[in-house]
Amino acid sequence: MIHVKEISKVFRTDEVETTALDKISLEIKEGEFIAVMGPSGCGKSTLLNILGLLDNPSGGELHFVDKEVSRYSERQRAGLRKHNIGFIFQNFNLIDELTVFDNVALPLVYQGIGKAKRKKMVDEALRRVNMQHRSKHYPLQLSGGQQQRVAVARAVVSNPKLILADEPTGNLDSQHGEDVMNLLTELNQQGTTLVMVTHSESDASYAQRIVKLFDGAVVGENINQPKVA
Amino acid sequence: MFKNFIKTAIRNITSSKFYSLLNILGLSIGLIAFVFIFIYIRDELSYDKHHAKHERIHRLESQFTISNKADQWAIVPIPMAPALQLEYPEVESYVRFQNTGNTLYRHGEKEYYEEDFYYTDSTVFQVFTHHMLMGNPDKALTEPNAIVLTQSTAKKYFGGENPMGNIITNADNRQYKVTGVIEDLPGNTHLKYDGLISAMTLAAEHGEEEFNSMEPVRFWNIGVYSYVLLKENAGMQSIHDKFQGFYDKYMKSIGDQINASFTLMSSPLADTHFSGNLSSDRPTGNKTYVYIFSAVALFILLLAAINYMNMATARSLKRSKEVGIRKVSGAYRGQLIGQFLSESVILTVISFIIALGVVYLLMPDFNNLSGKEIPEAILTNPVLLIQLFLIAVIIGLVAGSYPAFYLSSFNPAKVLKGTTSGGRAGGRLRRVLVVFQFWVATMMVIGTLIVSNQLDYLQSKDLGFDKKNQVVLELQDSAFRAKQATLIDELKQSSYIENATNTTGVPGRTNWTQVVRVEKEGKMIDDLMVMCFVDYNFQDVYDLELAQGRYFDKSMGTDQQEAVIINETAAKMYGWHDEALGKKIHHGFGEDMDGGRILKVIGVVKDYHFKSLHNKMQPLMIALSEYPNYLVTAKVKDGKIPQALDYIETKWNSFGAKRPFDYRILEESLHEMYDGEQKIAVIFRVAAGISLIIALIGLLGLSSFVAEQKTKEIGIRKVVGASVQNVLQLLYKEFALLIVIGLTLAVPLAWWGMGSWLERNFIYHIDIHWLNFLIAGFVALIIGLLAISYHTIKAATGNMVDAIKYE
Repeated sequence: MIHVKEISKVFRTDEVETTALDKISLEIKEGEFIAVMGPSGCGKSTLLNILGLLDNPSGGELHFVDKEVSRYSERQRAGLRKHNIGFIFQNFNLIDELTVFDNVALPLVYQGIGKAKRKKMVDEALRRVNMQHRSKHYPLQLSGGQQQRVAVARAVVSNPKLILADEPTGNLDSQHGEDVMNLLTELNQQGTTLVMVTHSESDASYAQRIVKLFDGAVVGENINQPKVA
Repeated sequence: MFKNFIKTAIRNITSSKFYSLLNILGLSIGLIAFVFIFIYIRDELSYDKHHAKHERIHRLESQFTISNKADQWAIVPIPMAPALQLEYPEVESYVRFQNTGNTLYRHGEKEYYEEDFYYTDSTVFQVFTHHMLMGNPDKALTEPNAIVLTQSTAKKYFGGENPMGNIITNADNRQYKVTGVIEDLPGNTHLKYDGLISAMTLAAEHGEEEFNSMEPVRFWNIGVYSYVLLKENAGMQSIHDKFQGFYDKYMKSIGDQINASFTLMSSPLADTHFSGNLSSDRPTGNKTYVYIFSAVALFILLLAAINYMNMATARSLKRSKEVGIRKVSGAYRGQLIGQFLSESVILTVISFIIALGVVYLLMPDFNNLSGKEIPEAILTNPVLLIQLFLIAVIIGLVAGSYPAFYLSSFNPAKVLKGTTSGGRAGGRLRRVLVVFQFWVATMMVIGTLIVSNQLDYLQSKDLGFDKKNQVVLELQDSAFRAKQATLIDELKQSSYIENATNTTGVPGRTNWTQVVRVEKEGKMIDDLMVMCFVDYNFQDVYDLELAQGRYFDKSMGTDQQEAVIINETAAKMYGWHDEALGKKIHHGFGEDMDGGRILKVIGVVKDYHFKSLHNKMQPLMIALSEYPNYLVTAKVKDGKIPQALDYIETKWNSFGAKRPFDYRILEESLHEMYDGEQKIAVIFRVAAGISLIIALIGLLGLSSFVAEQKTKEIGIRKVVGASVQNVLQLLYKEFALLIVIGLTLAVPLAWWGMGSWLERNFIYHIDIHWLNFLIAGFVALIIGLLAISYHTIKAATGNMVDAIKYE
């Protein structure tokens, strides 16, 4: 599904040049659940942003479902992204001013999906994360775990092929963290490709494959016997 | 602690330069406008208060009622003031002023027209406070032919010479000896004079007995500006209360004969400037405008303060961490409040100093615009400075109060963890404030449009006569005037001049009003008519249209003695309507109702505006003149004014006029009648501009904060698929909604306010058109959207990867 070939990412400020990714190559197959691990600053999030088409690499090739997309314009990337990729963040990134329902509906709004169909899809997504009873609440009225479940609902609402999760349990206690991991595993079992960045060995143990990064380079890959939800 | 406040405040101000500059800019502009208006109002309210006894001085005014029509005048009959002193012990002294008319005076080679020379009682220097530079105030005006000049007038005639004892001569060769020099009158004086001639001069000319006569008939001639000085603790009211007895004694006998009555009115000296629409008054101030300007000043100041509040609370996101750290480090809430207030006051004081500098530089332009004569030096007046400084500090405190209390209330644990997003409540208030700013700015724009429209209307309305290419001459000396018929013949011979006429009045300056007797239901009854005496060319020169009958005709021998033309209003008022021809008007009769001429109506002229459009149409009679008149109008051919003026000047000089060539272009003097409105229009324009600029600065600052606050939201939206366009729409929509609410609120108030301004001030006015509101709304909307565009576009196109990490 995704073919990463010798990708680099260099950040430049006036004085310093930092290499975040140094010629990384990676193959992600459809239906896989991959965990990316490594210490802070090793380039995990940068990799995730590039995989999620939020950012362009400085060099190398990126094939997304048979298309070379590393030189795509922002507009082209946005087009591809909104139909194919869902995101889950450590800090949830819900919009405080919108209700749970509206937060989940946001991707559908930008895909131009009609109101009636939208409602059906949002209800279905909220049902999947068991949050339909909170659809009229605002994010700040929910616990962290509930917020992350809403974020998950938003990520899956348009049935994307790929979900990218950046430390999805980082802001949650262990009980809520486990809930969210079980949810992600379930999605994966239903066919969604999942790439997750994490610090946590326990979270990583849910994945089928663990990619280890250090200083912007892949330093190891483990095939994992995943935990079953 | 205080030192620390100031130190930290200055550090904060200098560390966020963009916002400090916006704040200082907004506050300075607001304060500049405020200081000007403050000085203006202060000056308006200070009229004549420089006279030490002003609280005891009252101006006498009259109301004559003839045939149930009342006319109010700023002048009273000549013997009124002395008779009041005679009758009422309350009156300690009095002074009368009679204008000498626009007259030429000369000393040696130097000659000037003087409009502001008055015959005056010798008591003037005891009643009013003047600084006498030369001469003895007790004796200066006691002899006939004595004149006291103001310093600059004396300098004009005598230069370096000592004016005392020197002579100036008027056009009729009367000689006046300078017996005193007083300091120039300050600008805030209602009755301004440049020269005072002793009233004894008149007494010597007319005979003392005649001059001092208190015969009833002398009370029925409208006369002179008169002021009484009351004794300590005395009031005018008791004189008004007892006036009936006075009337019976001095005035009743004639009043009964002519079916008229008289009421004495008065104004305290300091109020004469606002005495309203009295006939023959000097230019007065308008209290309505004082109120309007006060409101404008307050609004502008409020807008500037609101800007500050807006930006300060919007910055709370940035400041919340500082508050948390200070609180954790042991700061009390009061200390934080002090901290934030110090910042706002320091910013306001900086802005105030800038504003004072700008006011100083712009003072000449301000004077020009407002018609005032306020010296720049007023800014060194310590009382004024302290007043203004205190107001600036108060503004600083008001502007700083909300942010101070709001920011200092943050819970340190929350803000340090980053879970307070900068206050949703603050966001709501900010929206209200933006709405308020646009409400005010839009009202100002609407006001500007309506005032300008009204002005255009006044200046371009069809007045019912031809105002184009008319040159008006004044024949001042009688010898010149006697030759008017020859002058007119010669003017008509010029190929540049179509026609010319000799009249007592020209449109815009037709004020002569007299009691006449008109035929109504078979009887002759008294009424007041405006009169204009003319020659055979009048109708042609001014292209007047007739509704009935005919114009004067040389071939009709009787026209000179018997014919009169009236206007449609007169025909309507006397119930003649379409049958006015042949009706009688008796005019020019004496006190015993004898004499004069009985005229028959031969024509009715369509109503034309012979007075400014502030006045409603009055009955007018036009008759052939028996004497040479004062005014000559030359109708010049299109585009030939310069050539015609050369020609007229040659004729003027060849006729041996005693004065240098002088003329007016009628159209220009008609425009001058609306100088007041012109000034209001300019002031509205400036105020609207300032309000918009302040609102713009506010939006610029606010949009930057909103964009900053929404960085995360924008990032999230883009991650889930929003395009730049989607995001722009979202941001614009939010501001546009606020602006539109402001506009909507502005419409009804502006409609009502401008509507009543038009109703109250103009007999003839425009109807308020909805287009004005649309244009104003459009202007405000465009300016508002422009202001927010910079930061909004920057935010919408920003990097979403950074945005979503934003916390």
